[in-house]
Amino acid sequence: MSHNNSRSSDDAVTDGGRATDDAATDGGVATTAAQKHDNTDYLSEEVNLLKPSTAYMRDHLRIVWTGFIVWALVVFGPVTMTVLAPGVMTTTMPVLGFPWHYFLVAFGAPTGALILAAVYARQRDKLDEKYGIDHDTDAEPAEPEPAGSETAADGGKQE
Amino acid sequence: MTVPIQAEALDISFKLLPAIIVFLMMASFLIIGFVFKVADTEGMWVAGRGIGNIENGMAIGANWMSAASYLGLAGLVALAGFYGLAFIVGWTTGYFVLLIFLAAQMRRFGKYTAPDFVADRFNSPMARALAAFTTLLIAYVYSVGQARGMGLVGQYVFGLDIIPMIVVMMTITVGYLALSGMLGATKNMAVQYVILIVAFLAGVYVVGFSQGYSTVLPQIEYGALFSELGRQFSEPFIGGNSYYLWVATAFSLIVGTCGLPHVLVRFYTVESERTARWSTVWGLFFILLLYWAAPAMAAFGVDLFAAVNGISSDAVFSGEQAMSGAEGDVIVVLAAQFAELPTWFVGLVAAGAMAAAIATTAGLFITASSAVAHDIYAELINPDATQRQQVLIGRATIVGIGALVTVTAFNPPALIGELVAYAFSLAGVVLFPMFFLGLWWENTNRQGALAGMTVGLLLWFTSIINSVLPAYVGFLADVAGGSGQALVPIYAQYVPPIGAALVGTPLVFLVTIGVSMATPEPPLETKRMVRQCHSPEPMGQQQSAENIVSDSGGDAPADD
Repeated sequence: MSHNNSRSSDDAVTDGGRATDDAATDGGVATTAAQKHDNTDYLSEEVNLLKPSTAYMRDHLRIVWTGFIVWALVVFGPVTMTVLAPGVMTTTMPVLGFPWHYFLVAFGAPTGALILAAVYARQRDKLDEKYGIDHDTDAEPAEPEPAGSETAADGGKQE
Repeated sequence: MTVPIQAEALDISFKLLPAIIVFLMMASFLIIGFVFKVADTEGMWVAGRGIGNIENGMAIGANWMSAASYLGLAGLVALAGFYGLAFIVGWTTGYFVLLIFLAAQMRRFGKYTAPDFVADRFNSPMARALAAFTTLLIAYVYSVGQARGMGLVGQYVFGLDIIPMIVVMMTITVGYLALSGMLGATKNMAVQYVILIVAFLAGVYVVGFSQGYSTVLPQIEYGALFSELGRQFSEPFIGGNSYYLWVATAFSLIVGTCGLPHVLVRFYTVESERTARWSTVWGLFFILLLYWAAPAMAAFGVDLFAAVNGISSDAVFSGEQAMSGAEGDVIVVLAAQFAELPTWFVGLVAAGAMAAAIATTAGLFITASSAVAHDIYAELINPDATQRQQVLIGRATIVGIGALVTVTAFNPPALIGELVAYAFSLAGVVLFPMFFLGLWWENTNRQGALAGMTVGLLLWFTSIINSVLPAYVGFLADVAGGSGQALVPIYAQYVPPIGAALVGTPLVFLVTIGVSMATPEPPLETKRMVRQCHSPEPMGQQQSAENIVSDSGGDAPADD
């Protein structure tokens, strides 16, 4: 954890516009998360899939891994079940007439992946909201300001 | 191992209306591209302000609409039954992995060709060359499948013999490529997607409705047909199609999806990483519009094949009158023909297949030419290359690869879908691990990447030599004991060309990680680039991780 040394507690208060806003609309959680975000210099934190180093990445990877496990079950579950219990899996579905194994693979797996994809994208948006990140208003390049008075406004950087 | 050259059941003769439809379709791609053309990428940002979720999603869908999806998929489902579903699963669900691990990070990294990414991430011209070589190989193998598809379907429209037909279709492709280059047309992928999906779905709906198979949802209604279709259509794990092969195939296609160069480039024009994410979701939806319907078309085709030929439902799969590989590959068009729909309508379905194949091949040839002219020739062989020399080399590449693809397509080793799957397993083995480790583990270094890519290429080549080449090369066939045999059967069983990634990708991961740990860490600058890819801080439209890192790298404030 490397917090930004150049930022005094004063800055945290004066710069707290974003955090205060969040507090008003989103409640306390957002404040903590957004403050953590403001206090993190992402260019100094190691990237390792197995050892997430920032609070944001820990939260993000929780969503990623959950999605990945569900995805693996949806994609490889039915075909594995079919090899383990062929009798049960090949019975005919009521109404539709498909054998179960066929339907779960041909329709279930791709559709499951689509739903998971939409859920992930939604969760990721929520995560950004929690950390006070707005992709819409920052359409223009938000240059990371390297030093000086802007430091506070932008979350600072490790020297 | 080789498959029959020609689809016997197809009505092969020149047909004027379908020929006009093919012409109009290709012309519309060019004209729309020309009318909406923008000078360069800068111009695109100024004029179009970047591409949004839905439009980019359609572009992703258009990329996917090659002969493999349009023809090959239904062919595999019709011929290989349950095993064919591995292709449906592999070519769709991989987008989820791409979404959660790579899409937004790749957008932030800001390099959209495999050679550019690999060269910048691993600081190595050698890595660039390996990636460029891989890209070239992928384009070649992928195009063979397309050439076979356009040749087979071209016969329905133009009525030539298969070999002259392939030559003519490839000539049309290169002509299309040259023309679109001369017009400076930027491809309008969204329009292309709409035209192709309409042609395909029209075929499925009209065949289903006219034959009484389905009404509003053929994607679900074909379930009622299963009791009448042959056992082989749905029976799991029959013949040589084991559970292992099923999983290996699906796995290869999934990681291949995440490693394919022409998928990445779709994130180039999106506004932000958020758009990169949502357009992946939309892209998957647009792809599924085709993939939900393809097995329905296969089921209709198989049932009609039995009815038209007056054979039992099991005789479709075995015996003298069984469906041949070539017939399977054009089942989408055959189904429309068997349903006795008007010629112009069958022609529309066929035109969609040809347009998809031509547009995909043209795109692949451009990728190949830039890999050779820019990434191999100018970067490695002749750093002082002039623009003119590069253009010449690029054109020579297109002619060379075009000729090679044409000749290979005369006697292809496998079905359309399987050929394209070879390219996927190559991408999954060589490029996917570089993208994944490159973006998710900052300590991946140059030595690791070079070792990993080399191992991946070797593994893929040995798999192809082992399983595919004995059918072509006499002395290899002698060694193998028959032209349909593999040199080392056990290797062919566990590392089949189509599913090489199940063994290959984990192996390349291990090699890359192992070598990276044994050698010095990459420079801080590179690590910071990787970190920038994971920072939640929004980035500007035209920024790459490299810009940000070099801007903030110095101690002095940026002097803008």
